[in-house]
Amino acid sequence: MGMDNAYLIASTVLAAVAAIAGILSVHRGHRSRWTVLWMLAVFAFQLMFLAERGQLRKACPLMDSGEILNFLAWSLTLFYLLIGPVYRISLMGVFTAPVVTVLQLMAMIPGKMDANPQPVQNTNPWHETHSATSMLGYGALGLAAVTALMFLVLNHQLKGKDLRGELFKNLPPVPHLLISLKRLLWLGWALLTIGIIAGYLAPNPVPMHHFISGIAIWLAYAALIGTHRIRGLAGRTFSLATIVLFMVSLVLFVYI
Amino acid sequence: MELFCLGLNHRTAPVEVREKFAVALTQLGSASKHLLELDGISEAVVISTCNRTEFFIASPAPPIALASLNHFLSEKTGHSLDFLHHHFYQHQAFLAARHLACVVSGLDSMVLGETEIFGQIKQAYAAALENQTTAVVLNKAFQQAFRIGKKVRTETKIQEGSTSVGNVAVDLAEKIFGHLKNSEVIVLGAGEMSRITAQSLVSRGAKSIFVANRSFDRAQELAAQMGGRAVKFDAWHRVLSQVDVVISSTGAPHAIVHAHMIEEVRRARRYRPLFLIDIAVPRDIDPACGEIEEVYLYDIDTLEQLADEARAKRKLQIRECELIIDHELEKCQLPGTSHTP
Repeated sequence: MGMDNAYLIASTVLAAVAAIAGILSVHRGHRSRWTVLWMLAVFAFQLMFLAERGQLRKACPLMDSGEILNFLAWSLTLFYLLIGPVYRISLMGVFTAPVVTVLQLMAMIPGKMDANPQPVQNTNPWHETHSATSMLGYGALGLAAVTALMFLVLNHQLKGKDLRGELFKNLPPVPHLLISLKRLLWLGWALLTIGIIAGYLAPNPVPMHHFISGIAIWLAYAALIGTHRIRGLAGRTFSLATIVLFMVSLVLFVYI
Repeated sequence: MELFCLGLNHRTAPVEVREKFAVALTQLGSASKHLLELDGISEAVVISTCNRTEFFIASPAPPIALASLNHFLSEKTGHSLDFLHHHFYQHQAFLAARHLACVVSGLDSMVLGETEIFGQIKQAYAAALENQTTAVVLNKAFQQAFRIGKKVRTETKIQEGSTSVGNVAVDLAEKIFGHLKNSEVIVLGAGEMSRITAQSLVSRGAKSIFVANRSFDRAQELAAQMGGRAVKFDAWHRVLSQVDVVISSTGAPHAIVHAHMIEEVRRARRYRPLFLIDIAVPRDIDPACGEIEEVYLYDIDTLEQLADEARAKRKLQIRECELIIDHELEKCQLPGTSHTP
C-alpha cells in the first residue's frame, strides 16, 4: 500500500470518528467541542494525500473520479474550517464529517482511483486553474448543501413542534443558516465561474459533454441565486434546491 | 455564634400577608441595620422580593434573638405572635445555610430555577455590607451561597428551557428570527395574554408593534403602553406583509386569520418566515396557515405543553441540585452552622 492510500485511510477514519463522536455528543446533550479538532486532523491527512498524489501526477491530482472525490472532500473540509467559526462550528462539523466520510469512502471503491497514477503530460496553467477552482467551487457548494440540510432539520423540528433534544438547542437560528447558505452559494458560483473561464481559455479544449454539463450546472446555480435574490424563496424550497443541485452536479462530474 | 433564618414566602403566606412584611429595595440596608439594635442579634441581612421576606441573622443567643425579632415584627405590623408563627418558617445552623443556598439556586422560587433571585439576594447582601451589618458568619454564608448557586446553575439543567408561555414564544421567535431587533409584531385582540406575550417580545428588542382590536380605543391604549401603533381591526391584514410575528387572542367565535390572507402577501414578504402565535380559544388562526412553507404556527396548547415540559424537566433536577448543595456545604464547614442535623 502506497503512502497516498495510507493517508486517505487515516483521514477517512478520522472523519468517521469525528462524525460518530459528534453525533453521540449531540445525542448525549453536550456540545461537540472536539469535532473541529478531529476535522483539523482530517484536513491535515487530506493535504498529505493530495500532496502525495500531486507528486505522482506531477500536476493537480484530478485525473480520475477517486481523486475528484477526494479533492471535493478536502475542499468541503477547507470551507468548513474557514466558515464554521462564524457560527456553531462544532454542530456544522457534525453535519460535514459524515459527508466527507461518504465522499472518501466512495473514492476508495476499487476502480475509482488509479493504483499506479502516471504523471500527466502537457500540463497547462489554465487547465490546472480550471480544475482547482472548479473543485474549490464545488467544495463551497457542498458546504452550502450541508447548511441547507441543517436548515431542513431545524425547519422540520419547528414545523413539527419537536423542540426537545440537544440538536434543536444547538442548531443556529433560521436566518443564520439561510444567510450562510446564500453566501456559500455565491462563493461557490463565483469560483465555478472562474473555473469555467479558465477552462475556456485552456489550449486543449475540454470534452464537449464536460463543457455542456459545466455550463448547465453554472446556469442552474445562477437561476437559483437569481430567483432567491430577485423574487425571494421560502427557506425550504431554497434548501431543497441547493441539495438537489449539488447531488446532480456531483453525479455529473464524477460519473460523466 | 449561630446562623439562623426567619422568613415567609409564597408557600407559607398569601400575597396580602407577604406585602405587609415587604421591605423596599432602598430600605434593605437600613432595615438590616435596624435589626442590630434588637437583643441578641450580631449580624443581619434582610432579603425582600415579591415572593419572600427573610431575615438572616447571626446570634450568640439564638432563642433571645428570635424572640426579639418576632416581637419586633409583631409590633411593626400589628399582627399577633401566633399569626407570625403560622406564616413564618425558621431554619437554624446548617439548615439555614442550606436554605440560603437553595434560595440563591432558585430551588425555593415560585418559578423553579429562575435567575432573577440570584441578583436580588446579591443586592440585599450588598446593602447589608454597605451598612456594615455583616461579619464572619453571614459573610461566609452568603459568599458560599453565591458560589454554590453558580455551581448548581452551571452543573445542572435547573434553569434550562422556558417555563412560561411568553418566554416559550420569545425563545421560538429568537430561533426563527435570530434576534428580534428587526422583527415587527402585530397583536390581534388586546387581551391580557397577548399583552404579556407581546411585552416579552418587546423586552427582547422587537423593532415595532402594531395593535388591532375591535375597540379601537382599547387598541390605542395598549399600543401606548407598549410604545406601538394602533391599527383598525378591519385593516390589520394591510400590515401583514411587513410584520414577522402575529399574536392573536381575540374573542372571535371563528378563525380570523386564514391561509389565503397569507398566500396573498407571500410574494410581497419575499417568502421570509412568519411566526403565528394563536393564544385564543376558540382558535383565531386557521390551522391551514401552518401548512404554508415559511409559516410557523403555534397555538396555546402547544406553548403550554412546551412550558410544562420545561417545568417538569427542572423538577427532575431538584435532587441533583440538593446533592451539590449538601456536598459543597459539608466541604466548606461554615461558621455558625456546626449544629448539623
